Amino acid sequence: MFLTINTDDPRPIYQQVADGIKELIAKGKLEEGAALPPVRQLAADLGVNLNTIATAYRELQKEGLITVKHGSGSVVASLTSTERSQDELLRPLRTALTQMVLAGLPSSKILSMAAHELRMVEKGSK
Amino acid sequence: MSPHSSFQYVLIIYLLWWGTRIRGCFRRWQQPLLRGPEWFFNVRVQPDFYTGTGRKILHRYWMRMFIPFVLDIPVALAAFLQGHLQAMFWLIAVQAGLIHLNHVYSVDMAERQARRFAMPEAEQPVAAVAFSLQPRRLRDYTNPKVEWALALASVVALLWLVRYYYAAPEHHNLRLVFGVPAFYLYMQVGLLLVKRVVVAWRTPVPQTQAAEHMEAREETRKFYLKMCDWNRAAAAAATLFWPIMLSTSEASFARLRTVWFAVWMATTVVSGIWIEVKRKQLLAMALRARPVKLPDLLHQSEIAKWPVCYQPSAPMLVLKGARGYSLNLANTLSYLGAAYLAGMVALFAFLRMGH
Repeated sequence: MFLTINTDDPRPIYQQVADGIKELIAKGKLEEGAALPPVRQLAADLGVNLNTIATAYRELQKEGLITVKHGSGSVVASLTSTERSQDELLRPLRTALTQMVLAGLPSSKILSMAAHELRMVEKGSK
Repeated sequence: MSPHSSFQYVLIIYLLWWGTRIRGCFRRWQQPLLRGPEWFFNVRVQPDFYTGTGRKILHRYWMRMFIPFVLDIPVALAAFLQGHLQAMFWLIAVQAGLIHLNHVYSVDMAERQARRFAMPEAEQPVAAVAFSLQPRRLRDYTNPKVEWALALASVVALLWLVRYYYAAPEHHNLRLVFGVPAFYLYMQVGLLLVKRVVVAWRTPVPQTQAAEHMEAREETRKFYLKMCDWNRAAAAAATLFWPIMLSTSEASFARLRTVWFAVWMATTVVSGIWIEVKRKQLLAMALRARPVKLPDLLHQSEIAKWPVCYQPSAPMLVLKGARGYSLNLANTLSYLGAAYLAGMVALFAFLRMGH
């Protein structure tokens, strides 16, 4: 199972790593209890600072998507254990929609793109 | 054993060793051109590279390959002429490490020299880097049955030696009885350290052909780990052989030693054939994955300017700077390596005392 980061992507590397892992969890490719590589291994493979990967893992832990046990490593948490408010969940959607509107996309196009992405995520999670 | 027989055994071992070296030389000789005339090792070069300066770079690489031979031959001659046959085993062990280090350094130097003549578009780092989310731990590459077998062999050997020693302690020399097994056990510890380094060996791959690159790297990793385990098994077998040899009568000793030597030779030949077959498979895999330049996200060329550096936030044991490799002294494995070498020196000093 591979994850990709892109140096042309405006998002910082830790964000790309965190978002990539979230996507794999959402698609069901990383199941509950699946072990993640240690911070050191991931940082060495990417050739980045240890803190970069540590920040990504902290974000995932804060969102309840992974649990970190010192000495045993990190594992994917149960999705049912994440408690997030609706407002918290809507925030990234609002940001993405704002960017699409600012890019001049019509509503119908935005809706069809959103529907397509949702289908891809649901297809992966089955 | 008579001095003449010892000389014969050591000479045969040394000649076999030369046989494997010559085979290795052929392989390293062809390495720069394996990808075809458009490449020099993993550097995509300009069309006139081999008609110009590239030819000199290639010749200098070929000459550097012979550095270990130049060091080896006078030492071997002196050891044989003066009858210091024990020194030949140390020479082979040191040369084994020196040949690999010389090759890594030589390839790195040749590629850096060739990069000045590389195709500009090939020297642009790719934007997308892939990495695996599969955890890599030493236990993931460990066969518990093999570990139990090695541990059992070592424990049986030690218990046998303890019994042998206490049967007549006034007649037995502590260093003679336990010295050689102690060395082999320490060697096994060193090989476990090497396995840790091999497992930690970083594996970034470009997004294009990610699967091919990853497969080649992972198979190469498993190959080196298997080599470590084979060497550990050889050390465990030698540890087990030691009390057998000490306990055997003089009459049976010569026969036993001949059997041991024959088994060792047969194992060396079989393993040599397997290694060659495996190397060809790994080469085919490596050639399927086109080399590309990966982005230097840690700016290693700026932070690794000397042969050693101290970078606590850099996770790698070895950084690749502008002028070559740099050992990261902030990495735990470098401490363990230094402690191991210090322990080796102390062990030798202890074993030499009283001789």
